[in-house]
Amino acid sequence: MRRLPRPSDLAGRTGPALVALVVALASAGRVAAHAGGVRSATRGSITVPTWLFLATGGAVVGASFLLSSAVTDRAYIRFIDTWGRRLPDAGRAARPLGRLLGVVALAVTVAAGLFGPADAGGNAAVLLVWVGWWGVFVLSSYLVGNAWPAVDPFRAVAGVVPSLDRDYPDRLGAWPAVGGLLALVYLEVVTPLADDPRLLAGVVLGYLGLSVAGSVVVGVDDWFGNADPISRLLSAYGRVAPLTRTDDGTRFRVPGMGLTDADWVDGRDDVGFVVAVVFVTTYDGFVGTGPWAAVARPLVEAGVPALVVYLAAMVGGYALFLALYLAAARAARRTADTYLAPAALARRFAPSLLAIAAGYHLAHNLATVLQLAPTLAVAVASPLSASPTLPRLIVPDWVGGVGVAAVLAGHLLAVWVAHSTAYGLFPDRLQAVRSQYGVTVAMVAYTMASLWIVSRPGGAPPFV
Amino acid sequence: MTRSDSRPGSDAADGTAHGDWTAPGDPGDPDDLASGGDDAYAVPSDAPVVECPRCGRPFARERHRDLHVGVDHADLDADERAAYEAASEDERAELRRFRIVSLGLLVALYFGFLFLYAVVG
Repeated sequence: MRRLPRPSDLAGRTGPALVALVVALASAGRVAAHAGGVRSATRGSITVPTWLFLATGGAVVGASFLLSSAVTDRAYIRFIDTWGRRLPDAGRAARPLGRLLGVVALAVTVAAGLFGPADAGGNAAVLLVWVGWWGVFVLSSYLVGNAWPAVDPFRAVAGVVPSLDRDYPDRLGAWPAVGGLLALVYLEVVTPLADDPRLLAGVVLGYLGLSVAGSVVVGVDDWFGNADPISRLLSAYGRVAPLTRTDDGTRFRVPGMGLTDADWVDGRDDVGFVVAVVFVTTYDGFVGTGPWAAVARPLVEAGVPALVVYLAAMVGGYALFLALYLAAARAARRTADTYLAPAALARRFAPSLLAIAAGYHLAHNLATVLQLAPTLAVAVASPLSASPTLPRLIVPDWVGGVGVAAVLAGHLLAVWVAHSTAYGLFPDRLQAVRSQYGVTVAMVAYTMASLWIVSRPGGAPPFV
Repeated sequence: MTRSDSRPGSDAADGTAHGDWTAPGDPGDPDDLASGGDDAYAVPSDAPVVECPRCGRPFARERHRDLHVGVDHADLDADERAAYEAASEDERAELRRFRIVSLGLLVALYFGFLFLYAVVG
C-alpha cells in the first residue's frame, strides 16, 4: 500500500559470509515490498558494493541447489513427497457460511468504497482489500490452504445468474487469466488503487461485472476454473500450502509438495500463468526504480502516452520472462540428455517458482498485516463513517526476521520441489541433477534481478 | 518391495500402468511420468534411441533405459536385473564424483565470499 507506513528496515549490515547471505536474503525480502499494490519508497541500507550484494544473493540459491543435490535417496525423496494424512471434509453447513461471509465482505467493501470516508488510511474498503484480502487471505492460501473457492463472492453472485453454457474454447486455456492478472497489476500500477476508495470500489464492481458476464456466457465452473485470474492465483498459491485438495479429499502434506503433482500444470497456458505470477512481482518493483524512469522519460517526452509505455514494458517484460523460462526448460532437455519434450519439462518445473513468489509475498506483507489488523477491525465496525481514532499495532523488530526466514524458506522449498520433481521424471539420478542446471540458473538470475531492483532507490512509478 | 515403489510422485503406485504411452488412440495416460500425454516425448529424427522393451519409452543412453526398467517396472528377469545393477553401480560412482565436486564448489563459495567480504566489506 503506497502511503501506509512501512515497517522499519530490518536488513542487517555486513559481516561474515554466512551472515552476509542472510542479509542478502533479508534485502530480497524487500523486493516484495513492491509487490501487489504495496510499494516501499525507502532505500535499503546496503553497505557493500552492489555487485557483491547481487552475487551473494545468487550464490545462496546456487548453494542450496548443491545442498539439495546431495540428497540422492529415491525412497526418502518420495517419502517426503507423498507423506500425508487425509482430513475429513468440512461439514455441509460450512459451504453456505463461507459463501455468506464472502458476499458480506464484498458488500461492505463496495459500500465503504462508494460511501465511506474518503481518506484511504481509514477506509474499510481499502483496508479490506489490501490488508484483509491481499494480506491475510492470500497469506492463508499458501500457509494453510486455499479456501477461495468456498468464499469467492464473485462466484457466489455469478452462480445465481442463469447461464447460456456455451462451450469454453479449449485453446484459450488459462490465457484469459494471464491477461487478467497482468491487467489487474497494470491497473494497480498506473492508478491510485490503494489511495482512492471510490476508484477501488469501481474496480471491484467492474471485476464483478466481468465475472458475471463471463459466467453467463460459458458457465460458472468453466469461467472460474479457467479464465478468472483471482481464482487461478489463489489456486496456484494454494499448491504451496500443507492442505491441498486432491481427488480423494483434503490432504495434509509437507508444505510445497502439492507443487510436484504432475496433473496440475497441464499446458503451456498453465506455465504462462505461473510465470505471470512471478513476473508481476518484479514488474511492480521495477517501475518504481530510477533506471525505469530513465528509460521512460525520453519516450514520454517524445510524446508517447505514459500508459502506453507502461503497457509496453509489461507485455515486453512478460514475454521476456516467459522466453527465459522456456529457454531454461530447453536447457534441461540438453543437460539431462533426455527425450522428454521441452514443453513437458517446462510444465513440470514451473510450479517450483511459486514457492519463491509465496516467500516474497509473506516477507513483505506480514508486518503490514499485523500493524494494520486493529485498523481494519475498527474500520470494518463502522464502514460508512470515519473513526476518530485508528489504532495500529506496534510491530516488534523480530517480525522482520520472520520475513527473512520466509524468503529463505521459499527459495529452499523451490529448489527442493525442483529436485523432487526431477527424481520423478528421470530414471538416472545424474539426469535428475543435471536437469536442474537450467532452472537453477533461472532462479539465480531471478534472485539477482530482484536484488538489483531493491538496491535501486525506489518510489512511486513516474508519469502516472 | 518392488523397484516400482521407489519412484516419487503421485504416479508411483502404478507400476507398469503407464506402459502404453504410445498406444494408438491413447489420449495420454494421466499417470504418465511426464504427465504430458501425447507430446511428452520429442525424439529428434536422427538421434540414437534406446527404447524400453516393456513400455517403449525412448532414452538417449542404455544406462538410462536399464535404470528405468529397474525403477519403473516390476518383476525383472535375470538379464534385466543384471543390467539394472550394473547401471546402478555406474550411476553411484558418478554420483560420488558429483558429490565431491559439489562439496568442493560449496567450500569454494563459502571461503570465496568470506574473503570477498573481508576485502570489500
